[in-house]
Amino acid sequence: MSVALPSEATSRDAADRTARLPSGAAQAYLFLAPWLIGFIGLTVGPTLISLYLSFTNFDLIQSPEWTGWANYVRILTNDSKFVASMQVTFFFVVFSVPLKLAFALAVALILNKGLRGLSIYRALFYLPSLLGASVAIAVLWRQLFAADGLVNQLLFSLFRIQGPSWISSPDYALWTLVVLSIWQFGSPMIIFLAGLRQIPQDLYEAASIDGASRRRQFWRITVPMLTPVIFFNAIVQTIDAFKAFTPAFIISDGIGGPVDATLFYTLYLYQEAFANFRMGYASALAWILVLIIAAFTAFSFLTARYWVHYDD
Amino acid sequence: MTTDSIDRPAAAGRLATARPLLYHVLLCAVSIVMLYPLLWMLASSFKPDDQIFNDSSIWPSSFSLGAYIRGWTGLQVQFGQFFWNSFIVATLSVIGNVLSCSLAAYAFSRLRFPGKNFWFALMLGTMMLPYHVTLIPQYVLFLNLDWVNTFLPLIVPKFLAADAFFIFLMVQFFRGIPRELDEAAMMDGCTPFQIYWKIILPLSVPVLATAAVFSFIWTWDDFFAPLIYLNDMGSYTVQLGLRSFVDSTGKSDWGALFAMSVLTLVPILLFFLLFQRLLIEGIATTGMKR
Amino acid sequence: MPSRAQAETQLRMFWWGTQERARRTFGVNDLFMERNSGVSITGETLSWGDYWPRLATQTAGRNIADIVQMDYRYIVEYAGRGALMPLDDYLGESLQITDFDAGAIDSCRVDGKLYGVNLGQNSTCSVFTRSLLEQAGVSLPGHETTWDTLGEWSLEVVDAVGRPNFWGVQDGGGVEPAFNVWVRQRGRELYNQDGTIGFTEEDITDWFAYWADLREKGAVPRADVQALDRDAPESSMLALNYAAMIFTNSNQLVAHQALNRNKLGMTMVPSGGEGAKPGQYMKPSQMWSIAAGTQAPDVAVSVVNFFVTDPDAANILGVERGVSPLPRVREAIAPNLDELDRAMLEYIDFIKDKVGPLPPVPPRAAGEIDRLLIRVNQQVGFGQLSPSEAGKQFLAESTGILERS
Repeated sequence: MSVALPSEATSRDAADRTARLPSGAAQAYLFLAPWLIGFIGLTVGPTLISLYLSFTNFDLIQSPEWTGWANYVRILTNDSKFVASMQVTFFFVVFSVPLKLAFALAVALILNKGLRGLSIYRALFYLPSLLGASVAIAVLWRQLFAADGLVNQLLFSLFRIQGPSWISSPDYALWTLVVLSIWQFGSPMIIFLAGLRQIPQDLYEAASIDGASRRRQFWRITVPMLTPVIFFNAIVQTIDAFKAFTPAFIISDGIGGPVDATLFYTLYLYQEAFANFRMGYASALAWILVLIIAAFTAFSFLTARYWVHYDD
Repeated sequence: MTTDSIDRPAAAGRLATARPLLYHVLLCAVSIVMLYPLLWMLASSFKPDDQIFNDSSIWPSSFSLGAYIRGWTGLQVQFGQFFWNSFIVATLSVIGNVLSCSLAAYAFSRLRFPGKNFWFALMLGTMMLPYHVTLIPQYVLFLNLDWVNTFLPLIVPKFLAADAFFIFLMVQFFRGIPRELDEAAMMDGCTPFQIYWKIILPLSVPVLATAAVFSFIWTWDDFFAPLIYLNDMGSYTVQLGLRSFVDSTGKSDWGALFAMSVLTLVPILLFFLLFQRLLIEGIATTGMKR
Repeated sequence: MPSRAQAETQLRMFWWGTQERARRTFGVNDLFMERNSGVSITGETLSWGDYWPRLATQTAGRNIADIVQMDYRYIVEYAGRGALMPLDDYLGESLQITDFDAGAIDSCRVDGKLYGVNLGQNSTCSVFTRSLLEQAGVSLPGHETTWDTLGEWSLEVVDAVGRPNFWGVQDGGGVEPAFNVWVRQRGRELYNQDGTIGFTEEDITDWFAYWADLREKGAVPRADVQALDRDAPESSMLALNYAAMIFTNSNQLVAHQALNRNKLGMTMVPSGGEGAKPGQYMKPSQMWSIAAGTQAPDVAVSVVNFFVTDPDAANILGVERGVSPLPRVREAIAPNLDELDRAMLEYIDFIKDKVGPLPPVPPRAAGEIDRLLIRVNQQVGFGQLSPSEAGKQFLAESTGILERS
């Protein structure tokens, strides 16, 4: 995987000086040591084994038997659930990520203003994210979006509209999960806030001395200085959305219904692995997902040099 | 919070009363939507089980603390034990993540060394594989280390920067710190470790606080790793404790579930309130200048 | 219990269930340890949904508990792959279960070998809101209810209750146990002895058409409402108050009652009418199985034997896991049961001579086909397939699943 690297834009001078330090590389590896130990000791082995299992018929209990490319061939040529779950997942990525980020950024910008009682708002806005994927959310979402749910009660009393059971209708079920994802916007919001706080104040001071308007300051200072954080949120939210599992597992019927409308890719993978005893096949599914996410991430890093502003 | 308006100090004078009012109205409206689940959970914790699922009113018809008592004492192990276990795991996870991830992030963002691109790409790659397929090999690994049924599988990876999310997050923020600072320090003869410790970390309080908050909350909310690695109820975390009240094949205690769900929110909410000051005010006190 | 620190046999036991079950199970274990010094049993418990991923992981890691609770559906998967120990050699020896009700042993066999010990008898049933129906002045469903009368009865409920979004009976088209009954009433089985599909395209098409007809008449919930049901008591049409009757397992009456303000009643699944064969059968609600790799098979067997035969153990267990297949145990515990539990016991007693023989053991991947039935019935409900298309598709897909497993 070739990705553009954080240091790519590094100014040569500074870089050379670092490199000229005696034993610079050794120092760097010392900093990296905890991660390297964990990576080699805990991550590499299981990862390679899952890669190996993707070429076998491992059923969780009996010893795996090598089956070559059979799993991959079946996935790519003869698996309608693979296609269906890909569609669900792409839909989710395309709609939930931009909406969630836009919402998180808007709220972060408002919360960054000099208003009283901000800490209360921040806590309130973070509340849904605190709930994580608890059973309570599942029940709550049904109370909201079921046939007799709160949303339909509101629709009826305001507009006399008889709404469907949103959460269990093939046309809308996935949308209710997109709404859930947006509702839990707390984490990207906090990261945006931290990013806004990291922007040096003197930039604004200098700009206002120069007579720059607030709008101009926003576009010339806030946005460029925030691009590393925007980039980060976009990448990790997209990876998370590709791997989305719990919303469908907990909130829809747990088997991807109705009629596979919420059959997220990892939900399908999980079912294959643990409900249908096809861990080998599930591993192959996982590695195909890795390739897709990696391609997307590499592409993002390549384009990042044109719009992400680093201070170094 | 007087230092809040840092993005437009010059405009502060123009800030009339109308705009904040507008913002407050807007924020209040959003707050109600955000608050609803908590109110509903609270209401459910007072309702009898036969009303939770077919009565969507937010006001319970009667107030009884029965569910709280059942929840706290009804399991083989008192619920307080789960709080304690979760507290240990979450606190150690915060320490582990902040320390080990910031070290790695410093190397990735500020140091030049051969193989950096390679390792960085691999580090990002670890975020991409769904954990379900590494679960069993990892379980076998921890089993061979004799770590199953202890907190070690939940904690040790955190000290070894296993969560690439935090490394990547810190890399993004460390890169925003002006290079001139390290260069000046290096001229003064500081070692990379001193730069990391005395310059980068103090200037990164908001992101470190962010990492701390997320570590704590996510560890607190995690149930899959504890589910696989903790066998004895005495070592359960709160999320496992909560799941013990409900079984889809038998008679669940939903009231106790909601009552204890409300209680388990309290520590993470407190943690959040405590750390958000650091998150928000950290930078103002460091007075970063270019 | 001091003075026996050495030579102690350590056993691990793992089951799914509620806290109620945990309390009773630990109680029996304590009793066993009290009577058998030198044995210590540790218990691990999770809910149904969490149980299976952990059991699979532990099995894959060769760290499975000595005694594990098994389900009728999963036993094929585990026994067929060699994870469980055959118990035939202990039968009649340290496993004193030969006077179990007829079929209660055979229902725990896979490929002719015994891999589980029946912890309770169980059957499919209809559960309905007795007090609501009485208030509305509708007759209660009973033993004489047939599939033909069910629809009219359901429409009667709709009229009598007169609440929007409320129906008489749930849409049962996706409920595999109910379909199983339907097929057996027609003299066929879900699966043949050799693990192939045992019913015809006509059976499955008629089934989908039956429910499509009721849906059209407004006798059963709309497809989007029925899809709220995720096969757990709290999302059933009964608990969510969308229907007056559902199909479920007889040992889940208690779970449903806890979520309902109305008093519930239970009866058999509708009959096939004149000349139909009995559709229902007794199956184990769950069983104890012993891991193939256990270090102490003899002790494990004696623990299991204690659970199902000892009267004191039985009194601790009650009918929480289902009704004991051992007549003398049933008699011993009957006086100590509460009303709901007794209803369950009486139900099993009542249907004893009305059920058919045990069907062949479902093949591996039967669970996948179970989920397929839910999906295809939804496709009919949402208008994506006609019943006859659905019948064809269900047969084709389920055959494909069986070939692959």
